[in-house]
Amino acid sequence: MRALLAVLLLGATFGVSSAQPPGAVPSLTVFAASDLAFVFQELVPRFEKATGTKVTLVLGSSGNFVHQIEQGAPADVFFSADEGFVDRLVQRGLLIAETRALYGQGRIVLATAKAAGEKLTDLRQLLDSRVKRVAIANPLHAPYGRAAEEALRKTGIWDAVRPKLVYAENIRQALQFVQTGAVEAGIVALSIARVPEIEWVPIDPALHRPLNQAVGVVRSTPRPELGLAFIQFVNGPEGRPIMKRYGFLLPGEF
Amino acid sequence: MELFPVRLSLQVAIIATAITLVLGVPIAWVLARRRFPGRQVLETLVVLPLILPPTVLGYYLLLLIGRRGPVGTVLAAAGIELAFTWRAAVLAAAVGSIALVIKASQAGFEAVDQRLEQAARTLGRSELSIFWSVTLPLAWRAVLAGGVLAFCRAMGEFGITLMVAGSIPGRTQTLPLAIYDRVQANQMNEANALALIAVAVVALLVFGVSRLARLRY
Amino acid sequence: MLALSLVKRLPGFQLDVAWQAEEKVVALVGPSGAGKTVTLQCLAGLMRPDQGRIVVDGRVFFDSDAGVDLPPRARRLGYVFQGYALFPHLTVADNVGFGLHGGSRRERARRVGEVIERLGLGGLERRRPQELSGGQQQRVALGRALAVDPDVVLLDEPLSALDAPLRHALREELGRTIREWGKPAVLVTHDFAEAYRLGDRVIVYEAGRVIQSAPRSELLWQPASESVARIMGIRNVLRGTVIKASPDRIQLRWRGLTLEAVNSPTRAYLPPPETPIAFFIRPEYVRLIRKDRGAPDPEHHMNLMSGRIVDEVDFGTTWALRLQLDEPGPPAQGDYDLEIEVPRLVYEILEIGQDRHWQLSIHRGSIQVLPG
Repeated sequence: MRALLAVLLLGATFGVSSAQPPGAVPSLTVFAASDLAFVFQELVPRFEKATGTKVTLVLGSSGNFVHQIEQGAPADVFFSADEGFVDRLVQRGLLIAETRALYGQGRIVLATAKAAGEKLTDLRQLLDSRVKRVAIANPLHAPYGRAAEEALRKTGIWDAVRPKLVYAENIRQALQFVQTGAVEAGIVALSIARVPEIEWVPIDPALHRPLNQAVGVVRSTPRPELGLAFIQFVNGPEGRPIMKRYGFLLPGEF
Repeated sequence: MELFPVRLSLQVAIIATAITLVLGVPIAWVLARRRFPGRQVLETLVVLPLILPPTVLGYYLLLLIGRRGPVGTVLAAAGIELAFTWRAAVLAAAVGSIALVIKASQAGFEAVDQRLEQAARTLGRSELSIFWSVTLPLAWRAVLAGGVLAFCRAMGEFGITLMVAGSIPGRTQTLPLAIYDRVQANQMNEANALALIAVAVVALLVFGVSRLARLRY
Repeated sequence: MLALSLVKRLPGFQLDVAWQAEEKVVALVGPSGAGKTVTLQCLAGLMRPDQGRIVVDGRVFFDSDAGVDLPPRARRLGYVFQGYALFPHLTVADNVGFGLHGGSRRERARRVGEVIERLGLGGLERRRPQELSGGQQQRVALGRALAVDPDVVLLDEPLSALDAPLRHALREELGRTIREWGKPAVLVTHDFAEAYRLGDRVIVYEAGRVIQSAPRSELLWQPASESVARIMGIRNVLRGTVIKASPDRIQLRWRGLTLEAVNSPTRAYLPPPETPIAFFIRPEYVRLIRKDRGAPDPEHHMNLMSGRIVDEVDFGTTWALRLQLDEPGPPAQGDYDLEIEVPRLVYEILEIGQDRHWQLSIHRGSIQVLPG
């Protein structure tokens, strides 16, 4: 019994390998905001095929990514949902300033769970009594959440809706709450709203500050040219149509 | 289906549990048997990881071991990578679960009749010998229970891991992080499969341990 | 040779004792909470006195002034705990051999076997303590303490975990074992009979102090005080008032009677008249006066009194009678004045069952005064 344990431990110490043997295939680690989940699921395989690179896509909250990149996370490129985060890192010297670029502008939509009944078409309808809970991403650290708050304030219903709000970790989780019917409605990113379980209407972009989304290559990357290549792919003739299809406004259009 | 998260979590949990036992049992013994100034501080430190939200704990840990952190810079100079590697996942799991080992073992040690230890003292044994030959053999079930809890906690460790190791697929994405990721991506089949594996592992462990605990004595 | 003096302050209690003993077996006796076990623990090094000095056979175990405090394992003693404290996860053989170090495994096994045989535990080597009877457990505890060949054996209430009939039987056996092994021993008990049977010297504890330390025969006949007498379980401990005291006699007043008692032989005790005084009368030394032999002769029968039997208990070989005096006033011990013990034969011949009123006499030597 003890011997088995010892062997397991030994094996574990040596056996856990994270990456492929270095130098075999070029690899790229992309930290991307959650709202890019669906669009990058399409984009990334195309890039991999086109360049023979192995891309590791890490999705999460932009705010958390900022902390992690500051502390040396192994990201090569950082696609943020908020240009403010990117600029902060550029200022700190953690992203290569010359690679800083906008890759899109996000949009928020008002989503209704199909199971909750009739589709909501106006933000003010969130005050309806049949809408018991509303999911948004956490305004404190998620840019889409902040945009949702701004829109609700601008509409003058923030205080009234606030008690009904459920804060999600990130935009994907907010979507999930609506999908599963745990909440009757939510404000989510357009880029991830095309799922069967919900219906949505766009929210007037004038109600919030623009969700300019920026990207930068991380300074500590051993492969800056590869990171740059990916950015150019996303912003190039192959990537732009796909981004557009997922509801992003493209650089040059805003 | 990609089974890397399963392998990773198993390895992380095993190592983390071993660490928590090696560090936690002596601390538990000190808390059970010794009075000393600063004891309250130690007790508080022990339960702190249970109270603080995991992502917060992860954040503070990251400040410590990250590239700019005091510990991180020392490790980097020595050429050791900790943050954002599987080792950080082990650290996260250990930090999150050591309190379980300590509390369970402490209760076990406190339940051992101190007169037995006194008897051993009169019979010429050193304190270390008394621990190995009297105290631990009589408290092993409590220590085992703590270890099992710690293993389960380590298998399920999420928030701290997310911050200090990141959810990097194929590198640090442990089983819980993988399940979460699949759920968020609405890949429910994969999520369910991974969750089922997690349940199976734990069930196997609990079954095996209860068989072991029934043997002897 | 053991010399001990120690002060130990515990919540709600202070222990302050000093005694010496040349005898082989010393018994510490007294009510629960008197400090006997604390003394033993300090002797063993399991508890540290606040001040004091402990010397055993010339070896200094503890000296607060000199900063000496030997750890238990350096004191070379055997300790039998109250309740035995046997290791439940080890066999009898492993328990007995627990303190053995050094030597080869074979030598240790041989020694364990030797001890087990000597204590009549043969055949039980592989058993666990939980499977043994109380008496067997006690012997294992003893064996464990003796196997290490200690310089002195300490025993804390070695018999109190056993029920009464077993306790009597094992008392003799324990005494024999201790003497056969020939080791000096200090034993703690709350049972005076046990202390008397097992100890060569008896040290009486009460409330954290030693109130008498004496070889056992001396203690039996000369308890130093009323407290000691009570602890010894002596019956008929009574209080009177001094009329006149001289070096060999004391005249005292009790229940309206004038009694003459011998004075305490070991000390010049001359209390002034009208001082209160404690004394005791052994139940077996009260003589009932036969009614068929005429009036009592004062030369023969001193301290004459009369009374009625109000209660009696049959102990098989003896009867214990409780007698209330004819004198007016409340009885000295609840609803009776004196306890009297008569052999069964006497009870039957005198037909005490039917005849309840009696004259009695007590020789002055059977009334013993208790100083202060």
